[in-house]
Amino acid sequence: MPSRAQARSGEKKGSVPVRPTLPREFIAVHKRRRIMDAIAELTAEQGYDATKIGDIVRRAGVARKTLYDNFEGKEEVFLAAFDTAVDEAIAQIEADCAEVDGGWEERIQTGLASFLRYVSENPALARMCMIESLSATPAATERYEAAMQRFVEMVKRTVPQDDQMPETTEESLVGGVAWIVYQQIRRDEAAKAEDLLPELSDFMLAPFHGAAEAAKKRTNA
Amino acid sequence: MERLPRGRHGLPREFVAQNQRERLLAALAECLEEKGYERTTVASIGKRAGVSKSDFYKQFESKDACFVAAYDDAVERIRATVQEACAERKDWGGGVLDALDALLRMFEAEPAQAQLVLVEGLRAGRGVYDRYQVALQGFVPFLRDGAPAPTGGERPPEATDEAVVGGIASLLARRVLAGETKKMRELLADIAEFALTPYLGTAEARRIIAG
Repeated sequence: MPSRAQARSGEKKGSVPVRPTLPREFIAVHKRRRIMDAIAELTAEQGYDATKIGDIVRRAGVARKTLYDNFEGKEEVFLAAFDTAVDEAIAQIEADCAEVDGGWEERIQTGLASFLRYVSENPALARMCMIESLSATPAATERYEAAMQRFVEMVKRTVPQDDQMPETTEESLVGGVAWIVYQQIRRDEAAKAEDLLPELSDFMLAPFHGAAEAAKKRTNA
Repeated sequence: MERLPRGRHGLPREFVAQNQRERLLAALAECLEEKGYERTTVASIGKRAGVSKSDFYKQFESKDACFVAAYDDAVERIRATVQEACAERKDWGGGVLDALDALLRMFEAEPAQAQLVLVEGLRAGRGVYDRYQVALQGFVPFLRDGAPAPTGGERPPEATDEAVVGGIASLLARRVLAGETKKMRELLADIAEFALTPYLGTAEARRIIAG
């Protein structure tokens, strides 16, 4: 289907050439994204407090008015960027896991690999979400906790359930992975986050291996 | 902490200074628990401690400096508690269990300290969050030293030691945030199984926890 811009240039065929235009919604979405990317980069570089609206619009290359047309202010930009990143990461993990034919172990490994890939491909967003959000504002720390909970639930849905298993296992696992990735980002090595896959896979699978064996023994007995 | 008597009391100057310092550290932790780092001010710490603003600045140059001192002090006390529990251990698994028990007892008895160490360390922002990282790394050797490999398996990779410590800290922080510090000891079996399983396997971990 021809885009609106193409259609319009078609109408003008033979007349004075005009600058091709993109649909307004496309531009709006694109600008929103640039604003969110800018706050991620800036908070990763200098922290949330030091980042001013002026820095954001300059980095994003948009007018101050555009920012205020889309967001109430700095905190809303930050929270929108946070939510977008978490949604994207989770969507990527779910899409990758949906293609796995194997069992839960393979799903955990695939999901972990997918998460680490997101971190390595989006280092500024990862730093913003996993480090800066903790100290940015009270609303941001609440989002962080809510995001952790989404990851905990994803792991819970994936691993074998066993009533002898502590209920808190998934929370500790997600916290442990977050801690290792946090340190990787602080070392400025987010781009190499995927190197962590073998060790973190072992860590995530360990509690369930034993539990699965224990359950098997109980069934056989 | 008790205030000293007002007026002339003939107490040595260093004693008074030390007492003020300890009161300020405790007051900072209480203020944080009540209203978080941002809204805690030098004035509110001083008021709670019963120490004047000018005496505050004789001890610390800023709120950040007071935070760091309180943080280091709390971490050192936790470290000493864990070390003592580990020193008495006859076997590695039993020692980890005892150390975790001592840790949870301490947090239950001193919720303001639990909040300071577990929650505020990561949240106080740039300039102080290195403290949390260093503190957590300081606990890794207690787990790593003497850790066995599960029967028929290999010693888990080194990242596991750090991830176990970080995972437990994260779980406990979530409970502090949920206002459940007073019920932390109920988590002992959970976190002990989480800590022991990578090294001993589930069956052995559960045997040790069941005592």
